[in-house]
Amino acid sequence: MRPLYAYMALLRRDLTVYLSYRTRLVSQLLTSLFSITLFYYVSRLVHVSGFATPTSYFSFVVVGIAMVGVLYSCFTIPDLVRQELVAGTFDRLLLSPFGATSSILAMALFPLLYSFVLATATLLIACAVFGLHLHLATVPLAIPVMALTLVALLPLGMLFAALTIVVKQGSVGTSWVIALFSIVGGLYFPVSVLPSWLRGLAQLQPFTPATGLLRHLLVDASGAPAPAHSLLKLFLFAVALVPLSTFALSRAIRFGQARGTIIEY
Amino acid sequence: MNAAETPLILKAVGKRWPGSPQPVLDAVDLTLQPGTLAWVGGANGAGKTTLLRIAAGLIAPERGSTRVWGNSPSHDGARFRRLVSFLPAGDRGLYARLTVVQQLKLSARLWLLDPARVEAIVAGTLARFALQELACRRVDRLSMGQRQRVRLASTFMVGAPLVLLDEPLTSLDTDGAELVHDAIEDVRADGGAVLWCSPTGERPHCQLDQALTLTNGALYVA
Repeated sequence: MRPLYAYMALLRRDLTVYLSYRTRLVSQLLTSLFSITLFYYVSRLVHVSGFATPTSYFSFVVVGIAMVGVLYSCFTIPDLVRQELVAGTFDRLLLSPFGATSSILAMALFPLLYSFVLATATLLIACAVFGLHLHLATVPLAIPVMALTLVALLPLGMLFAALTIVVKQGSVGTSWVIALFSIVGGLYFPVSVLPSWLRGLAQLQPFTPATGLLRHLLVDASGAPAPAHSLLKLFLFAVALVPLSTFALSRAIRFGQARGTIIEY
Repeated sequence: MNAAETPLILKAVGKRWPGSPQPVLDAVDLTLQPGTLAWVGGANGAGKTTLLRIAAGLIAPERGSTRVWGNSPSHDGARFRRLVSFLPAGDRGLYARLTVVQQLKLSARLWLLDPARVEAIVAGTLARFALQELACRRVDRLSMGQRQRVRLASTFMVGAPLVLLDEPLTSLDTDGAELVHDAIEDVRADGGAVLWCSPTGERPHCQLDQALTLTNGALYVA
């Protein structure tokens, strides 16, 4: 029970810090609005093969835009660890009975939950301003699927956090991974248009099934894969990656402690 | 007295930093008995902070062992961490945009203190370190001395029976120094132990049970 309070305390800390920067939410909502507006007018101008109407492509890409925030939030975890190292607060987490691995896991909660809120806001803006039609009957199912998505994506951030603890840089390779996932994750276009070797890569990470599944539940745009198949994939990624990333993180901490570099930055 | 009854035993601890020809610590032995305060002085770079970090379980020695009431940092991690509280040198380690009371509550939660007692413990700590008037002020709006009081409050609040202090009087005024001495006396009275490190010229003005100096990787009686 006490570790649960520690998780909540770190979540509350991150919320407090976030709220202390008053313009951040407005800035991020405006970014979403501009992205949606851009793709709305692109969808009106360009005929996209595989989509019957501009509206169906717009529905497709709006879900992708909403998921971009989730992708970014997942890879902010290494930067958060680096911030703790620079601020000298990481040793406090490391020496606490709650422990460093649990603390890093808890530090990931706020950005992931926040990305969920921002994704929801993005969809609502698209509905209110551009007339996006959501499948209201299946929208509630998107909530547990999003939760599973966050569990499946969290380990990727944890693996890069482990790397940060070892090499001390905050964004080692994360920008490349985000760019790669944006291409192979089916965010802006269906995976089916990719060359076959890239389509294979699309199946090797959790982002593609997560995006397809949410798209199926929210807007049912063309190109969405079968839900049961995607759900199983997402589940298997979560089951495989969570223990792997936890192990990698604890090994990275031990490595830093053995070398004496654990709190260096 | 056996290891399980001894607050701290460092045995033949050795540490060499990469690229350095000499070890920073060379087979260091140090034992702290219950109810005692030990001071380790030494020149800048003598290895005092490394010694404290090893004692805290923050970094591992290349050779030798650390035991806190018989617990090893590598084998009894969670139990070890409940027994030790460490104040690093400097003014870092606080969340700039949290208030003093938020900072202390976070520490209490991370130390897995009894949730039903957290409010009372934090209130008591604010009073003990004369921080009541600053309770709702953000940390980045505090003076250096006030920040040091918050860091000390957080260190002593968790109730660990072994307290490791690296230059605890940094930026403190006379009243602040008195608060530190009082907090140390409380730990000693409860059967705990305190290890205080500071440069040679900053020997604490309180009753010491051991006064040592760290030179060339070894401890000597000061």
